Amino acid sequence: MQKYSLNILMAACAVVLLMLAQFRILDNYIQAVVMFVGINIMMSTSLNLVNGNMGEFTCGHAAFMCVGAYVSSVLSVLFFGTKLGDPMLPASMAVIVFPIIVLIGGVFAALISILVSIPSFKTRDDYLAIITIAVNYMVISAIENMDFIGGSRGFQGMKDTVWAMKDTLNGPWMLFWVIAFTAFTIWVIRRFITSTYGKGVNAICQDEVAAEIMSVNTNKIKTINFMISAGLAGCAGGLFAHIVGYVNPQSFNILKSTEAMVMVYLGGMGSLSGAVISAVVFTGLLEVLRSQAIMDVLLAPATFVFPDWEPSAGVIKWVMIPLLLVLIMQFRPEGILGNKELSDVFPKLKKYYTFK
Amino acid sequence: MSLLTIDGLTQRFGGLQAVSEFSVEMKGGELMGLIGPNGAGKTTIFNLISGFYQPTEGTITMAGTPTAGLKPHQVTSLGIARTFQNIRLWHDMTVLDNIRIAQHYRMGYSVWDSVIRGKKYREREQRIREIAEELLEAMSLTEYAQEFPKNLPYGLQRRVEIARAMSVRPKLLLLDEPAAGLNSADVEDLIKLVQWIHDNFDITIFMIEHQMKVVTSLCQWIKVIDFGATIAEGTPEDIQSNPAVIKAYLGDDTI
Amino acid sequence: MDFIIQNILNALQWGSFYALIALGYTLVYGVLRLINFAHGDIFMVGAYIAFFVASWMLGPILNLSPLTTFIFAVPITMLLTAGVGVTLERIAYRPLRRKGAHRLYVVITALMCGLILEYGNLAVLGASRLKFPELVEKSIWHMGGVTVTNLKVIVIFAAIAVFIFLNFIVTKTKIGMAMRGISYDKFAIPLMGIPIDAIIVFTFVLGSGFAGLAGLLYGMSYPILEPFMGMIIGWKAFIAAVVGGIGDIRGAFYGGFLLGFIEVGVVTVFPSTYRDLFAFTILLIILWMKPTGLFGMPQSTKI
Repeated sequence: MQKYSLNILMAACAVVLLMLAQFRILDNYIQAVVMFVGINIMMSTSLNLVNGNMGEFTCGHAAFMCVGAYVSSVLSVLFFGTKLGDPMLPASMAVIVFPIIVLIGGVFAALISILVSIPSFKTRDDYLAIITIAVNYMVISAIENMDFIGGSRGFQGMKDTVWAMKDTLNGPWMLFWVIAFTAFTIWVIRRFITSTYGKGVNAICQDEVAAEIMSVNTNKIKTINFMISAGLAGCAGGLFAHIVGYVNPQSFNILKSTEAMVMVYLGGMGSLSGAVISAVVFTGLLEVLRSQAIMDVLLAPATFVFPDWEPSAGVIKWVMIPLLLVLIMQFRPEGILGNKELSDVFPKLKKYYTFK
Repeated sequence: MSLLTIDGLTQRFGGLQAVSEFSVEMKGGELMGLIGPNGAGKTTIFNLISGFYQPTEGTITMAGTPTAGLKPHQVTSLGIARTFQNIRLWHDMTVLDNIRIAQHYRMGYSVWDSVIRGKKYREREQRIREIAEELLEAMSLTEYAQEFPKNLPYGLQRRVEIARAMSVRPKLLLLDEPAAGLNSADVEDLIKLVQWIHDNFDITIFMIEHQMKVVTSLCQWIKVIDFGATIAEGTPEDIQSNPAVIKAYLGDDTI
Repeated sequence: MDFIIQNILNALQWGSFYALIALGYTLVYGVLRLINFAHGDIFMVGAYIAFFVASWMLGPILNLSPLTTFIFAVPITMLLTAGVGVTLERIAYRPLRRKGAHRLYVVITALMCGLILEYGNLAVLGASRLKFPELVEKSIWHMGGVTVTNLKVIVIFAAIAVFIFLNFIVTKTKIGMAMRGISYDKFAIPLMGIPIDAIIVFTFVLGSGFAGLAGLLYGMSYPILEPFMGMIIGWKAFIAAVVGGIGDIRGAFYGGFLLGFIEVGVVTVFPSTYRDLFAFTILLIILWMKPTGLFGMPQSTKI
């Protein structure tokens, strides 16, 4: 029974969060932050599969999030919204259909990942980085040219689905789905990576030639790994779109990809628990830095010297985050947990959970 | 039917002829050696057999199937395994995991199975684990199952690498300079290990080696190459007294 | 026919910027095997430096004529921009090199430094765009139906001159040989008595200096400056360098012009919003077919 302690604890936390949200004890802002933590966990752990476990250097993860966001948004509006004609499905089905919509977004994102995985057979590192950056730009550019879904002005109307769910049963649905999908993401990744199948990914990272010779079908494993990673990012994108209610191609540009990279390298390449922890820390950091008051405090010395300067929190944030990563690279490049898991650092924790 | 037939194998890299007309036929069960000075083309031949390079000319047929155009992991599943001159173990994974991964070709389950972990997955994983543990046991490596190779002494690492190659259940084992970097005690162990493998498994061993002691104790038949061409072949006694071989290694009297 | 010539000229001019920036990427990559992702932003910094230098020289204290300003601005901008590049190398890349850090960490650092430059600019100078002063009076020549401005000619000429200069340095001088030597074997070079740090600094001076020149010329050609101007041009110049074959300056040069031609070509046929999409797609296809680029040498590893 003790072995399930952590699982029970986490389930309990989830229930508590949902209750707090339902009874409006938890205000909308905190709810949104919690949901963004979940999304970031999904992005960071999924990128970790490719950049960490497989040791590739991809810089375009936001492209998959974008594909998932748009596909699920369009489907959402088709089925339950009014922007693209009458809703095709009755509102009562929203609860069942919504997760399917998100998953379909993920599937499309996984298919797009083939653009990246095929070049990865022959190239590594720098070349692959370019290809992923190019794919990121291409996806955004392609959507900006699709006026029927808003082009560069963005697309909205997904909130209708959320209302449809709320009409069926009043509750914090988005929070619920985010928690569910985050748990799903971690579950899938953990299971994949600890199986012999998934260990092939690590083998490719550490010595691809040896992996080939030891019967690992490297091309197939690479493709599958990319697809899982992109698919989960696509799901994150779909959820993100429905939380915000509005998507715009530029929200998924290199800056978003950089956010995901910061989380992965902060947490430690290849460490699942590291990616989770760093996603939480990073989201918290973003919220802290969003506050102008705190920013003013932090920059007090500079504004003292240059009194006319009024730094805006939103901008300085994007000086501090890269700076943070630079410092990490200088002083602790392996990140918070290196390539170990939390259970390797604190072996006693092993008693309390059973993630096989 | 012979196990491995190589006929007229030739490899050119641009203007450089790395391998010329190499031919051999192995029926199964042999312990054959491949020797020659550095740069003679021995590792290139191994790379050709295991599928890393496609030959410029010539054919390689393994158990009746030509290997032309196959990728390395496909060649492996035909029953060929190899080790490398520089040990290429996966150093950040345990010894047990190193052996488990080598069984990728017979995992028999799909990605979905690895996540859902139904009955098929559990059975197959159990089997993989059992095979790995049996092999470690047989090669006296059980106590190191949870160690990382980078923490093991070089001689043991070599043994793990051979164990990993064995877990692919090969019919042909290619050993590329297995004694490289080993001290004399480890070399003795290696000789015993290779002999033991040869005696206890239905396997053919083809070995590149520089240390004469290893070659003469183990190999029944030796092929000597220099500058890509086969200059001699025979039993260890024949080779040691063959003037062409001596000239290749030591040079002749003309300066 | 005139239409074609006009577009060829446009492509040459547009490609010149890419070529100048791509040369910087390739120099650093050739020597350090490092993709200096911050290079596009060094170009941006160069443009801003040129703006401030030019404004100061045109201003009340010195009150120089635009032409004189231009003549002096070129070396001063290049020098100052080179300084920025060298500082970057000193602060961010060298410590990691000393520690023998994995190349990946240096690349990430480079990526982040680029962001810091962009947002730092935005934070310090604000979001309003700056208008570059006119330094060279535009003279327009008409040859048949083709319009050529003297500025276009200057830009194209500059790119070609820089290429010839760099080619000379890399192939004919001792320091150029040292640069090429470092790219083959970093560890052997100090053993041969060559000061590796000095060579690396020299490489950054060259690369950043010419990026500064590109910034100045770009500011003169397209006078609106904004903090993110380096980002997309930088990425594209980088891709051009890779498609050309990174590590070889011929690759950067021809790759830059190739990209210029692709982009101008695309815009003549399709609506301009498709430009980036097509450019990236074509480049990706080229990379897919020839992964090491047009002039690049495949790097083989010994098995």
